Amino acid sequence: MEPITGRALILACSAIGAGLAMIAGIGPGIGQGFAAGKGAEGVGRQPEAQGDIIRTMLLGAAVAETTGIYGLIVALILLFANPLINLL
Amino acid sequence: MSETTDLKINVYKYTIILACVAAGFLVFFIEDYVPLIYGLIFGTLIATLNFTLLANTIERAARMAPEKAKAYATSRYFIRYTIYGVVLYISIKADYINVIGTIIGLLLIKVVILIRYAFNDKTYYKKIFRKK
Repeated sequence: MEPITGRALILACSAIGAGLAMIAGIGPGIGQGFAAGKGAEGVGRQPEAQGDIIRTMLLGAAVAETTGIYGLIVALILLFANPLINLL
Repeated sequence: MSETTDLKINVYKYTIILACVAAGFLVFFIEDYVPLIYGLIFGTLIATLNFTLLANTIERAARMAPEKAKAYATSRYFIRYTIYGVVLYISIKADYINVIGTIIGLLLIKVVILIRYAFNDKTYYKKIFRKK
């Protein structure tokens, strides 16, 4: 059996790390869905506040996406522009 | 005009201003700035496009039944997430675009929202630093 090289180990661990980083993308999706559901409930209960509800929801959802983007950036950099390979 | 038109125009305006300031800094402080500027422009354009998509999604979801709105908002989020993924992949693979510029461009709109709408209340800071 061939021994595991340092490069292969780094690539394997990077792939696992990328997969773990992508978990961060699920959270904002669930959160935005939950917020949209509650926003729709709020609009149904108080239709005159629709504008305020939509604006607040829009700003909150835009900021909530940020953590998902961070996870995506980490995953893509680990997969396609891995800086750790150059350290060998 | 929809409920979010004023908000969108305001956010776009400040994002473009901040992008110009960031581009100025890059030109002054980075030697090979052209790929960074391309990345910044690319990232800012995609971020504004995704913000428009988000606004359309939220406006439609607010008029739906709560359960339907939940599924609709979540599915649309994953479409936008895929767009972000494709944009970042292209910037990593293309030599003429710097991925750091794209990341800065993608996150500028969030910075604008945080500065303009979340951390703009001075009384909040006064309450934090007030002595009891």
